[in-house]
Amino acid sequence: MNRELHIVGFQVGRETYGVPITSLHEIVRVPEITAVPDAPDYLEGVINLRGKIVSVMDLRKRFGDKKAAITKTNRILVVEHSAKLAGLIVDSASEVLKIAAENVEPPPAAFQEGGLNCVTGLGKVDGRLIVLLDMTKLLAPASLKQQNGKAENKNDKAEARAAAGR
Amino acid sequence: MTNPPDERGAELRELFFETSQELLQALNEETLKLEKNPGDEEIVRSIRRTVHTLKGDSAACGLRELSELAHQFEDALSLEGTAAHAALAEIAFAAADVFGAIIAAYQGRTGLPSTEALRQRISELTTAPPIPHARRKKKPAQSTPDSGKDWTPAEKQAIAEAQAAGAPLYEVVVKIDPHCTMPIAARQMIQHAISALGQVLVVRPDTKSPSASKQVEFVFASENGKEEIAVKCHIPTISGDVSINPIQTAPLQASIAGGEMIASPTIGGQHSAAPAANPVSASSPGTPAAPQPPSNETPPAPASETAPAHVAAENILRVEAGRIDNVLNLVGELIIGKSMLQQALNELAGRYPKEPLRGKFADAMAFQSRVLNDLQRSVMKIRMVPVEQLFRRFPRIVRDVARQCGREVDLELFGQETDLDKGILDIIAEPLTHLVRNAVSHGIETAEERRAKGKAPRGKIRLNAYHQGNQVLVEVSDDGRGIDVQMIRNRAIELGMVTAEEAAHFTEAETLNLIFRPGFSTAKQITEVSGRGVGMDVVQSVLQRMKATIHTETHLGRGTTFRLKLPLTLAIIKALMFWVEQRLYAIPLNAVSQIARGFESEVHQVDNYEVLQLRNQVLPLLRLGSPLAAHIDRKSQKLFVLVITVGERKYGLIVDALEGEEELVIKALDDQTFSTDLVNGASILGDGKVVLILNLPAVVEHISHARPEAVGRANYGLLLNAADRARLALGAAGGRA
Repeated sequence: MNRELHIVGFQVGRETYGVPITSLHEIVRVPEITAVPDAPDYLEGVINLRGKIVSVMDLRKRFGDKKAAITKTNRILVVEHSAKLAGLIVDSASEVLKIAAENVEPPPAAFQEGGLNCVTGLGKVDGRLIVLLDMTKLLAPASLKQQNGKAENKNDKAEARAAAGR
Repeated sequence: MTNPPDERGAELRELFFETSQELLQALNEETLKLEKNPGDEEIVRSIRRTVHTLKGDSAACGLRELSELAHQFEDALSLEGTAAHAALAEIAFAAADVFGAIIAAYQGRTGLPSTEALRQRISELTTAPPIPHARRKKKPAQSTPDSGKDWTPAEKQAIAEAQAAGAPLYEVVVKIDPHCTMPIAARQMIQHAISALGQVLVVRPDTKSPSASKQVEFVFASENGKEEIAVKCHIPTISGDVSINPIQTAPLQASIAGGEMIASPTIGGQHSAAPAANPVSASSPGTPAAPQPPSNETPPAPASETAPAHVAAENILRVEAGRIDNVLNLVGELIIGKSMLQQALNELAGRYPKEPLRGKFADAMAFQSRVLNDLQRSVMKIRMVPVEQLFRRFPRIVRDVARQCGREVDLELFGQETDLDKGILDIIAEPLTHLVRNAVSHGIETAEERRAKGKAPRGKIRLNAYHQGNQVLVEVSDDGRGIDVQMIRNRAIELGMVTAEEAAHFTEAETLNLIFRPGFSTAKQITEVSGRGVGMDVVQSVLQRMKATIHTETHLGRGTTFRLKLPLTLAIIKALMFWVEQRLYAIPLNAVSQIARGFESEVHQVDNYEVLQLRNQVLPLLRLGSPLAAHIDRKSQKLFVLVITVGERKYGLIVDALEGEEELVIKALDDQTFSTDLVNGASILGDGKVVLILNLPAVVEHISHARPEAVGRANYGLLLNAADRARLALGAAGGRA
């Protein structure tokens, strides 16, 4: 029973995150983004993906880096969740990782509340720590609305903790 | 036999869920008729047939609870004297509701609702003694044809009629596939298939007989040849061998006269026209009203009623809405492609103005766009359905609500053939139901009140639908007490929604609009403001989401009309595009009444709102972008003002620049992600740019709700995002420093 998870790894800030490869649709360069009024700042807006309107979230802003600017090296991870497409702006995305199921630990209890409830587990690969994300929770409206000062603080702390755990 | 049995079962169930809705609707409609003509045995029979079909179908799909209940009800209906039972209609309604609930539970795979109450009521039917003054004791219709070749008189008559009509008769024997898990359903399907080709006169054996699961025999009248019938009968995995023999029947007629009339459920009840007296026949036009000896005089009704239905059934495709949406999406993409081509052609023309090929390109483009327009229109037509689909549910609703609140109400339906986009129809179903319920419970007065006012004691509610230009109008009107505008005004002031001074300026229409504000409706006011307002804000918000408007017209003591103005389609609009803060936006062109240019110096401050005087009207202004920076000289600054009409009022939108008008294919934003109501869609332009389509009612809402705090400060920045605001704040700070 050597179950392996196939994960697309990507960088946001100094951390490596991962989403199941099955939820990945494609990876594209950042095109022109149309801003949507009244949206939280980490929702960058919408893009035209070959005729489809896809909403785009900046994961760096979502995870606390409010001043992130978009450069040429940024990529958009287009993921599929509940039959809809959504874009995630990340710093870079390159690798496909295989993580044995036994090397995935459940997230610390502290993650369960606030803005980090989208973390499903921490995977260990060659001594590195991959933060595994759950698309549904990441993109769920509830977690979006929670987005406020407190949640951000928690994010930072949690991230620091995640870094320390390495 | 390629499918595993359970998959086939699932398919049958799907089919059943679809048809069951129609059966329930029929049940409701028949029961309404019965209520108007109590004791009409003809109607009771037709109810029984519907229940019988429901029972058979549900049993075939293995939906045991439903079939048992239907069976019980059917049995009760076939008892002597049931037709005369006073509460029959009541119980039939209850049964329709419970059946509906059970089916919904099956579909949603949730727990089944309790059926105890209904069972009890049904048993009331069976135990209650027949009412002594029941008009006439007639042997109720019983379906007991045995599986022999002896035809019942009714069947003989049907055969004779068909012969008289000149249609060739066939005896069709279809063996049911022995592997078929649901022979009874298979039977129904075969019968369905075959009845598309002609008229089924006799079906054997009865469903209850043991041989029913092995084969089914029809006597069938059809103009079509043997081969065609054979093809229709052959349904893979369901039917086995098919044998078809023409019948050269001879003198059947002789044996008909004097036969006792027994209705077979498979032949329309009209055949069994009550021999002696059918006291109430108003609701079944085909039935001879006068006593008439059973004879071979063909009543014209059965043939003319059943035949067209079959023809229609064959020409109608049931298509899943999703597939049509797919086609519509593709057409949308094509339209985007067209504007891409157009743009490329323009560029080409700019670069090589003398290129002779340009003309050819232009011709081809013109041709293509013409075809594209036709294609678009045709696809849209597919999505159109008559509003009847929605209206037909209202008789029952009106009846129920009227019953609950002790009103006497008649419902009139008009314009049922008006076509409307299926999507829109689905969306307005709920608000419309709400309006109708309100009209009954609060619009119409009690019979005594009405008499006192000199009105007819029965109230009247009218539903009407019609086209007007590029819109469809749906009206709900009542002839009830109307809405007291003054009362609403007072109430709104009392609730602190408007100040007394504001209210004094309100026109009647504006005041009436207050009832759609959230919070206006609380239980207490229902009695005070004739109740209008229960959940009216929900009605409003649903309509706003699809760019529809609602208009209220009321005359105190004479009634109220709610008029919904709906777009023809949700998919494509003509839009005007403009720039705000270097971003492109679009609004529906039909909302724009004028485009004006002005100077900042013409903008005035009234009560902290900015207004612009345009000829002789004063427009409230809304700056979509940033406010005018303080250091810019006001006087010389030019303005672009779009004058828009929302509801009854005009507003001015200040934009940075105009782009032009274009036909836009609306695509939904992911409303899970974006909770804003300011934007109700996006579209892709020829160059791949995304343009957002603004939701004007919501935009205007923001003006009227924003309480101006500082002069000229309230009505700007609606379309700014966080980054813009940060930049502006910095700019302001810098300016101060």
